[in-house]
Amino acid sequence: MLKALFKKQLMEVNTWLIQDKKKGKNRSKLGVALLILVYTVLFIGMGAAFFFVASMLCEPLVLAGLDWLYFAIMGLMSVLLGVFGSVFNTYATLYMAKDNEFLLSMPVHPSAILFVRLFGVWMWSLIYEAIVFIPSVIAYWIVLYTVLPAGSLTVSVILCDILLFLVLSVFVLALSCILGWVVARISARLKNKSIVTVIVSLVFIAVYYWGYSRAYAALQSILAHAQALGDTVKGKFYPIYLMGMTGTGDILSSALFTLMIGALFAVIWMVLDRSFLNMATANRGAAKKAYRQAPVKVRSVSGAMLVKEARRFVSSATYMLNCGLGTILMPVLGIFLLIKASWVREFLVSYPEEGPAFAVLLACAGLCTMSSMNVITAPSVSLEGKHLWLAQSLPVLPWQALAAKLKLHLLVTELPLLFCEICVAIVIRPQVFDAVLLLILPPVFVWMSACFGLAVNLKSPNLHWTDETIPVKQSMGVLLSMLGGWLLVMGLALLYFVLRKFLSAQMYLLLCTVFVSMVSSALLFWLKTRGTKLFAELS
Amino acid sequence: MLQINHLTKRFGDKKAVDDLSLHICPGEIYGFIGHNGAGKTTTLKSCAGIAQFDSGDILIDGVSIKTDPLTCKGKIAYIPDNPDLYDFMTGIQFLNFIADIFGVNALDRQERIAALADAFELTADLAQPISAYSHGMKQKLAIISAWLHNPKLIMMDEPFVGLDPKASHLLKEMMRQACDRGSAIFFSTHVLEVAEKLCDKVAIIKQGKLIRSGTMEEVKGDDSLEDVFLELEEK
Repeated sequence: MLKALFKKQLMEVNTWLIQDKKKGKNRSKLGVALLILVYTVLFIGMGAAFFFVASMLCEPLVLAGLDWLYFAIMGLMSVLLGVFGSVFNTYATLYMAKDNEFLLSMPVHPSAILFVRLFGVWMWSLIYEAIVFIPSVIAYWIVLYTVLPAGSLTVSVILCDILLFLVLSVFVLALSCILGWVVARISARLKNKSIVTVIVSLVFIAVYYWGYSRAYAALQSILAHAQALGDTVKGKFYPIYLMGMTGTGDILSSALFTLMIGALFAVIWMVLDRSFLNMATANRGAAKKAYRQAPVKVRSVSGAMLVKEARRFVSSATYMLNCGLGTILMPVLGIFLLIKASWVREFLVSYPEEGPAFAVLLACAGLCTMSSMNVITAPSVSLEGKHLWLAQSLPVLPWQALAAKLKLHLLVTELPLLFCEICVAIVIRPQVFDAVLLLILPPVFVWMSACFGLAVNLKSPNLHWTDETIPVKQSMGVLLSMLGGWLLVMGLALLYFVLRKFLSAQMYLLLCTVFVSMVSSALLFWLKTRGTKLFAELS
Repeated sequence: MLQINHLTKRFGDKKAVDDLSLHICPGEIYGFIGHNGAGKTTTLKSCAGIAQFDSGDILIDGVSIKTDPLTCKGKIAYIPDNPDLYDFMTGIQFLNFIADIFGVNALDRQERIAALADAFELTADLAQPISAYSHGMKQKLAIISAWLHNPKLIMMDEPFVGLDPKASHLLKEMMRQACDRGSAIFFSTHVLEVAEKLCDKVAIIKQGKLIRSGTMEEVKGDDSLEDVFLELEEK
């Protein structure tokens, strides 16, 4: 029985590898091999980055006799990445599994189901932890072998490192179970889940970049104050000291640390085992909102379609984050420019030969690039998915359905763009004609991006997805729209440097505005004619 | 109300609907029966303007769905076999969306939503997101949305699937009342007992071809509809 459950769990883990969710069928052997290759390269790349960090820390700390601090730091990094990588997987596998009731209806002991589910989570924990831990151990072994006297790399060191790798994976599993439970609880009670997810994700991205920008300084600081840091950790965080000592091959510390993590996991196992039945069968529906009849707001057909598109957009954190990030970043850029106004002006003064319109040209390039991060129309047709029958059977013209998608893109992008344009204008103080071009070109560019995204999606829609991340994240249309926008901006910028001997920046901007307007008009014409036919014929 | 003239729809080499002609008059409940894959859903989708067809024509209240689909769609309501509604909306948001599209004024929609939601015992759930609805609740919501604009022609694909007995009974009553008001109903079903009791006329389709149609008496004679259907299927 347990064997059958393990087999099912492994199949579940392998699904992401074998099944192509975009096409809804299994991948070919070549496809699987390519995917494995891509992930292997990705993992090796990430591992190489951590190897670099580990190498920076390892030798100085080992030479200072603080091997354990090295393992304490790298061990904590492994745990952090492991928990971050597997906590949402734990949430889905353990607390939200769709087959819990099915398995519980069969003659299978709940503990066996829990055990097998934890095994699946543990495998992912191991993989994420390995990305940091294995390069760290390799870096350590290299230092022991090459820098320290011969015989420093002993069997006990090797065995203790392997033990630490496994024990840490259990620690990651234990933490993931606890945090997964917290996520499940919060998620069950959360209203406006998608908005909260977007905010949390943005905060995470900001923290990540903040941490990334300070990583090098932090490493230098650790190396500079290694002894003091070591004393603090040893005095106040003894379990972390034990973890570090395990990495150095200390048998007693290894035994104590293993016992400690074993005890922690045993407690978590007991709690989970006792509550699994309730947990697996609980109805986690959000608190029911009572319906009260309210005054009705009557809308026109196009108004109703636009509101429908807006509801679709704000209902999905994936859609907002992947296709609407520019909406957040443009005001941030505007405020950043206002704060750094004097720096920007100094920078522009250093290019006096380019003339005052050069600043506007640079600003337009930046604004167009930023606005290209919004690709709301690019997956919008695919996102109709199984609901397409509604748009097709209701008395709505195909153009009305498409226009609503365009309008949403424009609304969500043009308003923050306008704010950013005003900020830019305050900072660079353009002449009147340049200011007009600054106010016209980026919005027209947004028009073109919106039409282009919609056109590409109409030409290659994917209506048969099982998970909305597929049309949003894995669609060629989204990639083409985003990259296409950036490449066009880059191309036009490069062309300026070729033509600047013959054309002033102002004239070049004017020509760009005319060019982008013409492309937008052509795309709009195509959407109104061929595009509407394609939409009506979608199935 | 609905005139299907020589409708043919191909999927590749296979004819899903083959030269099918039907005429449904106002006030009629027309049942459409056939085995799985016989062409019922394709026919209904073609009538609703969702599926394009290869030849023939479909007229709704005298207007061709090919040449003036918008006018036709304004007169009909369609409920598919699996009503995938906008699950990012709440029930009430969806109903208001449908009312906006069909131009139902505020007073009428409020009255109709209140009456229909109460009848289907869905009022308390109208503020919930549709994603939290069961299949039966989605079916009820789809039915309410279909009745919201008093359509002249209601087309339903397996409308009784997922409905509880009370809701099924209510739907049958609503179908009869709609026909009494002059609307027409065209629906597919596998439940032959329901078709036998409810329908004024019935059409049997096999491999895309209409093999028998007419009033219930003309089609089944003294036998049960089930016997006739099984006999025709075996031929």
